[in-house]
Amino acid sequence: MSSRWPATRRHRLAWMLVVACLACTNNPYPSSDSEKKILYTSFGDAPRTLDPAVAYTTSAHVITGAVYDTLLEYHYLKRPYELIPGLASDLPRSYRSEDGGIVYRFELRQGVLYQDDPCFELGGAGRQSREVLMADVAFALMRIADPDVNSPVAEPFSNVAGFQDFTARLSERREADADFARRPVRQQYAEVGPIDGVRVDGEHVLEIALASAYPQILYWFAMPFTAPLPWEAVEYYDGRQGRDRLADHPVGAGPYVLAEYNKQSRFVLEANANWYGALHPEWRAPGAVYPFEGEERDRQAGRLDPAVVGRPLPFIERVEFRREKESIPYFNKFLQGYYDASGVIKESFERVIHEGGLSEEMRALGISLEKTVQPSVYYIGFNMDDETIGTPAGERARLLRQAMSMVIDAREYARLFMNGRGVPAQSLLPPGIFGYDEAYENPNRRIDLERARQLMEEAGYPNGIDPKTQRPLRLTFDTPDTQAQARLRFEFFTRSWRQIGIDVEISATNYNQFQEKVRNGSYQIFMWGWVADYPDPENFLFLLWSEMARSKSGGPNTANFSDTRFDELYLSMKGRENGPQRLAEIREMLKILERQRPWIELFHPEDYALYHGWLTNVKPFGMSFSTTKYRDLDATKRASLRADWNEPVLWPLYAVTLLSLAVLVPGIITFMRERQ
Amino acid sequence: MLAYVIRRLAYGVVVVFGVLLFLFLLFFMMTNPDDVARKALGERVPPEVIEQWKVNHGYDKPLFPSSSNLTDNMLFEHYRRMLTFDFGRSDADDTLIMTRIREGMGPSLALTVPLFILSLGVAIPFALLVAFFRETYIDRTGVVLSVLAMSVSILLYIIGAQYLIGKLLRWFPISGFDFDPQLVVRFLALPLLVGVMSGIGGNVRFYRTVFLEESNRDYVRTARAKGCGEARLMSHHVFRNSLIPLLTQVVLAIPFLFTGSLLLESFFGIPGLGAITVDAINGNDFSTLRTMVYIGSLLFIIGQILTDLSYGLVDPRVRLE
Repeated sequence: MSSRWPATRRHRLAWMLVVACLACTNNPYPSSDSEKKILYTSFGDAPRTLDPAVAYTTSAHVITGAVYDTLLEYHYLKRPYELIPGLASDLPRSYRSEDGGIVYRFELRQGVLYQDDPCFELGGAGRQSREVLMADVAFALMRIADPDVNSPVAEPFSNVAGFQDFTARLSERREADADFARRPVRQQYAEVGPIDGVRVDGEHVLEIALASAYPQILYWFAMPFTAPLPWEAVEYYDGRQGRDRLADHPVGAGPYVLAEYNKQSRFVLEANANWYGALHPEWRAPGAVYPFEGEERDRQAGRLDPAVVGRPLPFIERVEFRREKESIPYFNKFLQGYYDASGVIKESFERVIHEGGLSEEMRALGISLEKTVQPSVYYIGFNMDDETIGTPAGERARLLRQAMSMVIDAREYARLFMNGRGVPAQSLLPPGIFGYDEAYENPNRRIDLERARQLMEEAGYPNGIDPKTQRPLRLTFDTPDTQAQARLRFEFFTRSWRQIGIDVEISATNYNQFQEKVRNGSYQIFMWGWVADYPDPENFLFLLWSEMARSKSGGPNTANFSDTRFDELYLSMKGRENGPQRLAEIREMLKILERQRPWIELFHPEDYALYHGWLTNVKPFGMSFSTTKYRDLDATKRASLRADWNEPVLWPLYAVTLLSLAVLVPGIITFMRERQ
Repeated sequence: MLAYVIRRLAYGVVVVFGVLLFLFLLFFMMTNPDDVARKALGERVPPEVIEQWKVNHGYDKPLFPSSSNLTDNMLFEHYRRMLTFDFGRSDADDTLIMTRIREGMGPSLALTVPLFILSLGVAIPFALLVAFFRETYIDRTGVVLSVLAMSVSILLYIIGAQYLIGKLLRWFPISGFDFDPQLVVRFLALPLLVGVMSGIGGNVRFYRTVFLEESNRDYVRTARAKGCGEARLMSHHVFRNSLIPLLTQVVLAIPFLFTGSLLLESFFGIPGLGAITVDAINGNDFSTLRTMVYIGSLLFIIGQILTDLSYGLVDPRVRLE
C-alpha cells in the first residue's frame, strides 16, 4: 500500500507529536518518579561551602546535617530542646579532672561505617568505606582550630584546654618551615598535635577537657562542625586534577549521601546504605528510630501515631532540592502539588492566612499550617558608651532609655511589616529557651505614653526638650540598611519617639561605614538581631556580658553594656546545669536588663510553614538541624492529587487556532480573487 | 580583507581594555573588597575570617598601581587574569569559573539556539505574509499586533505566561530545568514561547519594511510583468535580495547565543550563563562577573567582524578594505 507521506516525513511528524505530548504537562518531574518516596524541596542560592568545619548557614546545614552524623543530636519532638545520643552510645559522662576542670567522656558505637566513597582507596586499594573512629572527631576538632580552614566557630572551642595553643603551634610551625606547610594536614596535625584537651582513648573513646566551665559545649557536638570526618576525604577532595573540593563533596556517616550537587539547578540526597540505622536496626539507637515520646501537641497532631513510633529511620528514600530563585513560581508549584512544603510568601499572605489560621481555600487542598517561634530575638540597642544615651550620663540616661522603651509598640510593628509573624519580646529570651517565662511582663515594654512623658521630665527633658539647646533632644539611629523599605521600618520607631518629643535622625550608610562607626564607638541607637546557635540562655545572655563588649574586645555586645552584678551572674549561670539556682540567676539578670534598658526588646520572629496532607511526621525545628530522616510521605496520595489538580486546560488553544483561521482565511480568499 | 580583519581586531583590543577598566572602576566605586568578602562568607563570621578570605582571594592588595608598585595590585591582577584566560575561582563559592561556564553553556544553548531559530522561523514568514498581503487588513492587523507586541515589557510576558499558561492552563511547568532530554522540552516550552512573543513584534516590523522596500524595486516589477507568481516572487526574488539587512541582525546575534538570556534564564530558573551573570551581580561575585563581561565583549567583537565578512560573502559588490 502506497502512502502520500514519505517514511522520513512520517517519522518526523511522529517525533514532533511525541515531543508535543511530552511537553503538554506542567509536571516538572519524570512520571516514573511519581509513586516514589521522594521529598521535593527547593533552595535559593547554593551554600558557599559544605565543609563541615566552615558551613554555618541553615541552607548548608540542611545538607551537612543529613550527610554528617554527629556524636549527639536533638530529640526531634521534645521541647525545650533535649540532647540524645547520635553516634555516641550514650550521653557523655562528665567528671572533674585532677586539676579541677570538667572532662566529658564520649563513647562511640562500634561498627559504624562511613558512606561508600572513592576517597577511601587512599587507605588501601579497593576500599570503599571504613569504620568511624574517635580519631576522626579529634581530626575534625583540629580542623576547627586550623587557621587555614577559617572556621567561623573556633571561638567557642577555645574553652577546650589547649585549643588555642594548638592553633598557635600550627601557625608558628607553618611559618617557620615551608616544607612542613606543604605536607598533608593529617601529618601536620600529627606532628603539632594533639590538642591537650582532646584525648582519644583507643578507637571508640574521646575525652574533652575544658579549661573553663562551659557545659554548653555539648550542643556543639550535635552540630556538623564536630562530626567525625575521615582524613581520606580531606586529602582526596583537594580540588586538583579534576577532583572535587571537600566543600562540594561531603563524606560522612549520616543517613543520607549527597548523590548529585549542581549548584545552579539541583541537589539530590539519597538514603545511605551504610548508615548504622540501616545496617543495625537491632540496635534501636535513639537517633535511628522514630521517637517514642513528645509533647501533648505532637499526640494531637498525629506525630506519635503508634504505627510510626519506634520505626527505623529514614522513611524517605530520596530528597530533591530544585533551585527556585523567585518566591511566586515556587509557591504556585507548591499549590500544584510539586513541592511538599512551603513557607507563606508575602504576596499570598492574605490568600493563605485568615484571622491567624489557614484560609478555607488552603484547607480544601488538605494543607496544614505549623507556626514556630524561632529561637531568636530582634532588638533596638543603645550604645552604653555614648555621652547622652549611655552610662556616662548616669541616671538621666537610664530614665531616657526607659521612656524610649515604653513607646515602641512591637506588636504594631510586627503587624505592619511582618504580617504579624512575630511574638512581642518581653526579655531577650525567646520561648523554648530555659528561663523564658510566658507570664512575665516587662514593665518598661508596656506601652504607656503618659508614664514615658513623665520619665522624660524626670530625666531632665520635659516634653523632649534638651535644656542645653532648648530644642527637641536629637539622637541618631544608625543602620547599615539603605533600602527604601528599611527606611519606612525605621521611621516607625522615629515616629514613636517623636510622641515624647525626641527627634531621632536615621543615618543609613553601607555596611562598612556602619562597621567603622561601631568600631569607633560613634553611634547611639541601632537595630540588630540574634539567632541562637544552641538552645541555652547563655547563648543570648553572653550578648550583654562586658567581656564581649564591642569597644573592649570587638565582641557581639554592640551595646557595650557593662554591669558588674550582671557579669558575676553570667559567669555563675554559664557553668551551671539547668535548675532552680540557674533560673534564679537568670531572673536576676533579666531584672537588671529590665531596669538598665541597654536594649529595647522587639520580637521573636515566627515561622509559618505549610505542608501538604501527604507529608507526615513534620514538626518545625527552630534550631539549625536536619530533620529529614524523621519525615514521611504518602507518594500514592500525592500522585493522585497532583493528577487531579493539574489537568491541562486546552480549549483556549483551540479557540486561538480557530480565531486565527477566521481572520486569515477570508483575507487570503479575497486577496487571491482580486489577484485573479 | 586580511588587513581589514587585523584593523578590526586591533580596535577590538582597545574596546576590550576599555570594557575591563570600566567594569573594574564601576564595581569598586559601588562596593569594596570587604563587601565582597561579607557577601561570600555571611554576616556572622569574625573579622579575622574576613581578613583571611581577602588574603586568599587577592583582595588585600591596593586597588591601583603606584609608582613604587606597578604589578602587585588588583587592577594589574584583573588584566593579567583576563588577558591570559586564567579566570580563577568564583568569589561566591570558590567554584572554578571555567567549570561553571562549561556547565552553563549547555542550558544556555538549549534555550538560545531554538529561540533564535524559532524567532527567525516565525518572524520571517509572518513578515513575508504581511508584505505579501500589503495594503490589506491582514497587513494592517499584523502591523498593529506587532506594535502591541513590541510595547509590552518582557517582564510582563514572563509573569503573564507563568500565570496564564503555567498556573491557570497548566500546559507547561511554571519554571525550572532538567538535563534529562525527555524533560527538557517541557521546561523550555514556556521560555521559548515568551522569547518568541517578546521579540516577534520588532522583528516582523523590521523584516516587513525590508521586504516592502525590496518588493518596490524595478526588477520585481519586471519579474511580475514576465508572469512570475506572487509567492515565487516573494520567496525567490524579494527574500533573497533582502538578505543583507537581515544578516546584520542575524549574524550579530549568533555569538550571543553562548552568553544566554539574562532575564529568561533568571526568571525561568534555567542554569545557563545568563543566570550565572545575574547571580554574580546579585552576589557581588566580581571574579565571575568580570569573566562574563569579558567573554561578552569578545563575542561582540567577533560578531561584528563576522557580520562584515558575511556582507562580502552574500553580496560580491561589497569589498572589505
